[in-house]
Amino acid sequence: MLLHLNPSSGVPLYLQLQAQVKQAVAAGALRTGEALPSTRKLAAELRINPNTVARAYQDLERDGVTRSVPGGGTFVADGLPGLLKSEKVKRLRPHARQLAVEGRQLRLTREETLKLLEEELDKLGGQA
Amino acid sequence: MSDVAIFTEGLSKSFGAQAAVSQLNLRIQPGAVYGFLGRNGAGKTTTMRMLLGLVRPTKGSVRVLGLDPAREPELLRILERVAFVSQRKQLYGWATPAELVRMNKAYFPRWSDDAAARLAQRLEIPMNMAFKKLSIGNQTKVALLLALAQEAEVLILDEPTAGLDPVMVDEILRTFIEDHVSQGRTIFLSSHHLSEVEQICDWVGILDEGRLLLESRLEEIRQEFRLVIASGEGLPVAQSADVVSATTDGRFRSYVVARDAERFAAELRGQGAAILEISPLGLRELFLHLSRKEDPCTPGNAGAKAAPVSSFS
Repeated sequence: MLLHLNPSSGVPLYLQLQAQVKQAVAAGALRTGEALPSTRKLAAELRINPNTVARAYQDLERDGVTRSVPGGGTFVADGLPGLLKSEKVKRLRPHARQLAVEGRQLRLTREETLKLLEEELDKLGGQA
Repeated sequence: MSDVAIFTEGLSKSFGAQAAVSQLNLRIQPGAVYGFLGRNGAGKTTTMRMLLGLVRPTKGSVRVLGLDPAREPELLRILERVAFVSQRKQLYGWATPAELVRMNKAYFPRWSDDAAARLAQRLEIPMNMAFKKLSIGNQTKVALLLALAQEAEVLILDEPTAGLDPVMVDEILRTFIEDHVSQGRTIFLSSHHLSEVEQICDWVGILDEGRLLLESRLEEIRQEFRLVIASGEGLPVAQSADVVSATTDGRFRSYVVARDAERFAAELRGQGAAILEISPLGLRELFLHLSRKEDPCTPGNAGAKAAPVSSFS
């Protein structure tokens, strides 16, 4: 797995890890059922504390992105079938709020902010 | 106390009238990689030597793995379970690394020949050349090999990567994680290489003139710490505990805020200030801000004399 962390970006490493795995899943670079490296292996690759990787993995599992098999590793989950639409919306709302606030602070117009979002969706390609 | 790998309380050391370490309180958790930072002469080495019973504290207490280095039998148990690499690598110059391995293993009950062999290969150490003929970098690698192969519960490393090239530093960091931290063991290291510390450490403590200016989780520094630059007349010398450092440069004042930067900025605006920037700051920037002495406004800055800021969570 190709992950790249920036330790001085002001974003906690566990959040950077989570975001990159989510992005890889959304873009299809990581497929359903595919195994993620073990906590220790990924920690050694990235030269970071295994606790940090473990925290990211826990949150990914909580968010339904991955599932773990006791003693058998972490795998990409098959989507979030059990999740109600309203729950999905609830999870995404803070990110939408963040985007809106940042856009406003940077004095971008409503259209410019929406266009950015659409561009990012386009980059992910395919999938309805 | 024994659930803490390294514990100090009010730890102080004076050499004559010179205070080398004052009132140091450390709580280092097992499995942590703790970066102990500070300028030359800040007291890092003296602190490490006190942990190992090499220097007697003037005041305060020390426990390493729950054991007191001031008591002879406990010190011996500490030395079995803790490995130390000092800045000056004093090993027998005539001996080859292979001979040093044979001499050292007898002293350490948990010594691993496998680890020693693996490290010799991975770190590309010439094992059959006299130690004194090795380059500084290779001498450092030998000292690290001797420490890591002890399979110690705690590694205390005084500038472990000084003199190594970037590829070797990266390899050493990988080794620290793979062979040591992944087993739940602890590292307490000092270093001037802040980008390395920022990558591998999960805790940092910043020491200046023997005083701990700041101790925090690095994830908290990333998430919460912000640099707020304001301009205006009569800006406050912030007394809030959340302000870690405040320094003045002409009409501008830079604040390092430990949390709620937006709220702090709003307060400043309320006092007529213009906020020029609110941005995250890397470890290097944080270190430089805290170490400034020309205009110490808060307890956090190096030149100030009041109590340190600590953010345990």
